[in-house]
Formats: sequence, C-alpha cells, structure tokens
Amino acid sequence: MDENVIKIENLAKYFDGRCVLDGINLKVPQGCIYGLLGRNGAGKTTIIRILLGLEPATRGQTFLLDTESASLSPKVRGRIGCVAEGHNLIQNYKVSRLIKLCKDLSLQWNDEFFRLLIDTFNLPTDRRVRELSMGMRAQLNLALAMAIDPELLILDDPTLGLDTVARRQFLKLAIGLIQQKDRTILFCSHILSDVERIADRVGILAAGKLVVDCPLEELKERVKKLRVIFPESAPQNLYLTEMINQETQGREMVITVANWNRQKQAILETFKPSSCTEVPMSLEDIFIECTRPDSNSTES
Amino acid sequence: MLALIKREIRDHIVYFIAAAICSAIFIAMGLETVHEYNPRNPPVFPIGIGISLAAIVTAGICAMGATQMYFDKTRRVSALLSTRPVSRSMILLARIIAGLLAILTLLAPIAVATTILLRLFTPPIPMYSGLVWEIFTATFLLAFACYCIGLQTGWNTNALTPTLGALGLTCIFVPLILIKGPGLQIVVILQLFITASLVRTWNKFLSTPL
Repeated sequence: MDENVIKIENLAKYFDGRCVLDGINLKVPQGCIYGLLGRNGAGKTTIIRILLGLEPATRGQTFLLDTESASLSPKVRGRIGCVAEGHNLIQNYKVSRLIKLCKDLSLQWNDEFFRLLIDTFNLPTDRRVRELSMGMRAQLNLALAMAIDPELLILDDPTLGLDTVARRQFLKLAIGLIQQKDRTILFCSHILSDVERIADRVGILAAGKLVVDCPLEELKERVKKLRVIFPESAPQNLYLTEMINQETQGREMVITVANWNRQKQAILETFKPSSCTEVPMSLEDIFIECTRPDSNSTES
Repeated sequence: MLALIKREIRDHIVYFIAAAICSAIFIAMGLETVHEYNPRNPPVFPIGIGISLAAIVTAGICAMGATQMYFDKTRRVSALLSTRPVSRSMILLARIIAGLLAILTLLAPIAVATTILLRLFTPPIPMYSGLVWEIFTATFLLAFACYCIGLQTGWNTNALTPTLGALGLTCIFVPLILIKGPGLQIVVILQLFITASLVRTWNKFLSTPL
C-alpha cells in the first residue's frame, strides 16, 4: 500500500468556464494532520468534494486510501470519516434517528467513544436536527464522523460554529485520535490558530494554485518578513527571487521573502541598508502575505 | 442496503398508507359491485369512481418518485449518505425498491382480492383465465413507468421537459392500453419505456454533483 493516504495529481476544476483549481498536486502521508488553508472561494471545499467523489474533476486524478475518488467503494468509504462544510445533516430527522441511520450504515461503530462524545458535547438526542444550534450540529457531525473509528478523517471547517470551549474540546479529541491510532486528518479551517495548534503540515491555496505545501515549522522558517531601512529613499530596483510581498514607504521597505538565504542577504546588502530587522511572523501573517491579491508567492 | 430501504419507506410512509387505503377502497368497490350486481342493470357509478381513483393513484405514484428525488436534492440526503459506506447506486436502488414496494402495497391486495372474488363468484361473461394476471402486470408496469417519470421529474432542475414528456407518453399509453387491452405488446412497450427511463435517471443521479 502507498504510504500516501491522500494523493492529488494535476487536479483542475472549472465552474462555468471559471478556473477554481489549476493543476493542484498534493500528497498527504499516513499519520499526518494536514491543514488546508485558503481564503473564501479559494477551492478548499471543492478539493474535498472532489476527493470524496461528490464532484467530478475537470482534469487530473485524486486518490483516497489508494482508490480513485470517482470509484470509492462502500468498503473504502467505511474507513473515511467526513464532516462537510455547513454540517449537512438531514434536518427533519430526530437526532436519535439520524444516529441510528448512521450506525446502521456504518461498517464499524465505536459506541463507547460515540457516547463519550455525545456526553462531552452535551448533545440532546430527543430533538430534531433543525432545532439544534449551529454549534450543536457541528458537534453532532463530528461525533458521527469520529464514531466510525476512521482511518482518514476529512474535515471541512469542522470548528465552524463551535464556541471556544467546544473548539478546544474538538482539537483535543482530534489530537488524541491521531496520537492513539496513527490516523490521518485533512482539515480546512479559517481559524488559523487551530491549524497552528494541531497541523504538522500545511497547504495554502491562492488563485487556484497550491502556493505552499510544507511542514508547518519549515514554513515558519522559510518565510521571512524583513523591515529594511535605507539611508535615503528605498531603492526602486531591489528585486529578490521568491519575493512574496514588497511594501515601500519613504526610507522604509518591508519585504516578505521565501527561502531566505545568504545569497539573498548578500544581494540586499549591495543596496547598503542602514538597518535590517526580522519581523516575527505567525501562521496568520504568513497566510495573509501568501494570499494577498498582489502576492508573488510561488509554490514552495 | 436494508437500512437505506427502511429509511426510504419511513421517510415516505404517507405514500404507503395512501396506497393501502386506495387498495382497500378498490377492494370494497369490487365487493360491492359483486354483491349488488344485476345483469339487467349493470353499475355505471363505481366505474366512474374507479377511473377517477385510477387517475389519482397514477398521479400519486408519480408524485412519490418526484418527492423522493426532490427532497433528496433539497435536503441534501444523498450528500450525507455518500459520506457513509454506501454508493450512489445503492441509494438509488433502495429508492426504487421502496417505490416498487409502494406499488405492490397498492396492487397486490387488489390482485389477490380479484382472484378470490372470481373464484367465489362466477363472472357474468366467460373470462380468459390469465386475464387477472395480465391486467395486474400491465397495471403494475404502468404504475412503475409513472414512478420512473416521477423520479426523473424530481431530480431535474428543469421539471418542465420531463413533465411534458410524461404527459405526452401518458396520452399515448392510456389509449393504447384501452384499445389493445393488457397484452404482450403493452408489456413490451412499457418495459422498454421503463428501461429507458431508469437508465436516464441512473445516469443523471450518478453523474450530478451532490
């Protein structure tokens, strides 16, 4: 078996002639928690839908657990837990009925773990799904996805609608799940602090391309933001390779650059700056820099 | 698979109840006709009601198929089920089986009652022994064809084309059955229509993004 649980090869998707995904290549190895980031409409949900076989790809191929997404058998699907964006549950069902349906359809069901989740989230099972709050629906969806003891967990904005306490509980559970069973998680989220807390590899989607795909620590090391002060006005002709952003204001120039090295430093020093200081960057800062419309970020 | 069929039946239980009620009404009408039959004054009134009921039943069966597909689309049922260990083919197959069971709930008791009544009471005119079976088969296929039209109508974003198509085909089929009677030709024509309709629904359901 391939050690990559998720494989995406040259994936492209067009909606009414508009390119949403443009040649995406991605591999997620077993046991990895992969955080897929991107602005609204960047194509995160589309990638997940294509992976799950809910949407056809325009070009390219996607594989889950060594099986092509378009032909996922019920047996393979039984090894994948999924939380869809918007928590699509059958609204007119009672929670207990929905649980029974999911349980009956599942190949395996960890009742003990499920009860634990229901109790932890304090979910009422005698109410209809539509009567639940957004947060409760999110919790129910998570519990249903985790109860099948999934080998691969795909979560599309799983903490959307959860309060801070529930979000922490979920993250704790996700970490526990992965640590205990060496399972793989692919998740999209807008809450970058969540991604920073649990992901060990991140991908950033911008303008239909995967502009970043590397381990989180490596990303933080590779992307540098520098505040450079020049004795006179900042030079107009300063150009560094893999420069993500450049902002100039009088004598000051703030540059964000990928793969900062001695060679690039030497080029910068030829312009004789009076000072050059590194600005600390969080994942959120890196994300904002990489997804700015005028960003020059390239696949790293 | 059983869980999927159970879900379909429970979600559309109203159609099963309606089918059972209609079946009971048809049987009661048959019993009354047999009980009060007078060769010099044949009953006209129950036939009129029968035709009306048949029209309602046909529309009801068509509505069941349409409702199943429409609610699937609007409530995103298949989108949820597809993230479970089931395939889209299984979802559709379970749906069709539920539809067939609803039709059988309606027609099977009528067929059994008619057979018993014909055994108990000698018909006023001699009847071909396989007539009940032929009528049952043709009616079953016609009902199933209506159901298939419903499935297509419910899944299509533009419901006008299949609805018009259904109306056109009903205009052809009903006179054909009335003129030619429930024979082999009708069975073959209906089977062809059902196959074409199912293939189209299958193809649409399997290829549409959920």
